[in-house]
Amino acid sequence: MSAKGRATGPLRLLLLAALALSAVAPFALLAVQSGARGWFFPAFLPPALDLEAWRGVAAGGSALAAAFATSAALATLVALLATALALPAGRALARLEAPARHLGAAAVFLPVAAPPIALGTGLQVVLLAVGLGGTAAGVLAAHLVPATGYLALFFLGVFGAYDERPEEAARTLGATWAQTARLVTLPRLARSLGEALALGFLVSWAQFALTLTVGAGAVRTLPLEVYALVRAGQDREAAVGALLLSVPAMLALAALRWAARRTDALPA
Amino acid sequence: MRTRAGLVAAALVAAPVLVGVAYAVLAALGLAGAGATGLTTARVARVLAERATWAGLGWSLWVAGAATLLATAGAALVALAFRGAGALDRAGRLLAALPLPVPHLVAAALGVQLLGQSGLVARAGHALGLVARPDDVPALLYDPLGTGLILTMAWKELPFLSVVAASVLATRGARAEEAARTLGAGRWATLALVTWPLLWRGLMPAVVAVFVFVAGNYEVAALMAPSDPLALPLLTAERAVDPDLSRRGDAYVLALVALGVGALAVAAHEWARARWGATAE
Repeated sequence: MSAKGRATGPLRLLLLAALALSAVAPFALLAVQSGARGWFFPAFLPPALDLEAWRGVAAGGSALAAAFATSAALATLVALLATALALPAGRALARLEAPARHLGAAAVFLPVAAPPIALGTGLQVVLLAVGLGGTAAGVLAAHLVPATGYLALFFLGVFGAYDERPEEAARTLGATWAQTARLVTLPRLARSLGEALALGFLVSWAQFALTLTVGAGAVRTLPLEVYALVRAGQDREAAVGALLLSVPAMLALAALRWAARRTDALPA
Repeated sequence: MRTRAGLVAAALVAAPVLVGVAYAVLAALGLAGAGATGLTTARVARVLAERATWAGLGWSLWVAGAATLLATAGAALVALAFRGAGALDRAGRLLAALPLPVPHLVAAALGVQLLGQSGLVARAGHALGLVARPDDVPALLYDPLGTGLILTMAWKELPFLSVVAASVLATRGARAEEAARTLGAGRWATLALVTWPLLWRGLMPAVVAVFVFVAGNYEVAALMAPSDPLALPLLTAERAVDPDLSRRGDAYVLALVALGVGALAVAAHEWARARWGATAE
């Protein structure tokens, strides 16, 4: 190894240590805070720890537990519906040639780029007009907007490199559209479908501004609950909520990376 | 036929935004919504003439620019430092990407706990004898510069940009760098004249996406931003629930301003993708 290589070694180790601290310390802080009792300035370490805040969630009767269930149900439905909507849209977009493809990509990027509070302000009135304002169905419809945009872009990428010849061969050999979809297309897209479901789940799971404007405070998802706890200074409960908000998201990303690594789609 | 199907699909996905924009335009012109008085440009003119509008927009763009710049610099550094195939490189890339799925609200909650005047950083300062009381700690939250918010959003967006940067370096540039070194270019010349231009061009679409997302984010601003100037998302939300019904329509004008920024970002994103997104090796 050259002298220059040895000189940069300690710098890389320092950067690695900084990344490790940046990645792990925040969650360690949340974990400690979720059990800390009476932890105020200037105490650097909590005077006492217990699991009272977690017991409240585990018992199932707390607002956090209810919000967790609401968010999980919403995010699962959004993932399924957005995937069903975005897959044909992404495939249709991938068949376009430039410049129509750029125009199409820009159009589906609009729901992603639109600031949620601005999007929510516009959607709120429309959903109120059809009687969905302040309802879980209205929040579901609102979450579908950015989720479908994200997934349409995702499937545009998938189908941009997709070889349609196996489907063409199946149709040539007499398979119906439904048979081709079931026996050829879906098995080839199984991994992408899993990734899309995870992405769609994540988009809905973390939504705040759309839920706030469209749900009008009546639909209590986990992000709204955590926000209220942070604003109220209820640090223990807020830390529990923040961890509940983070863990499913990290599991979904871990599943995505595992699936991608199986196809060598990501650098190791 | 295929062109029409593709464009119809794109229009359907974009339709909710377009419907929202259409309603916002009608409301901004006094033709719909609370406080509607008939066609008038007075509301638009009034809102665009208010100091709060431009102060809020300027502040949001400042915070978005600063956070994006910090996150991009960090991501580029991580990608360049850990671009090999060894264990250290894999560990670096993994650790940089680990916070990727953390929701922005959680990042804000962490920012409040760490950077508040009685937060963990302040307590560490007290333990080291640097501060005696919370008042001795510089205000990083709710400050006019948005320092805490910028640091929090930079931390939140760095994982995404580092994943994109790593992907760009892994899929582009190897041959160009090899050619440069073969032609006698030194390590730093190769970095400055070959690697860095490939990296920032490949990163540009993601950088634009991060910028517009930070500028439009509500929950982090709600927990960490000052009340004056009021960030554009917060100002929009405030006007939407104004007790004075005649001012509620202002929220639609502000929403159109925010959507305009988003539309410019979409155009910039697509221009960057078209220009550099498909750069061949």
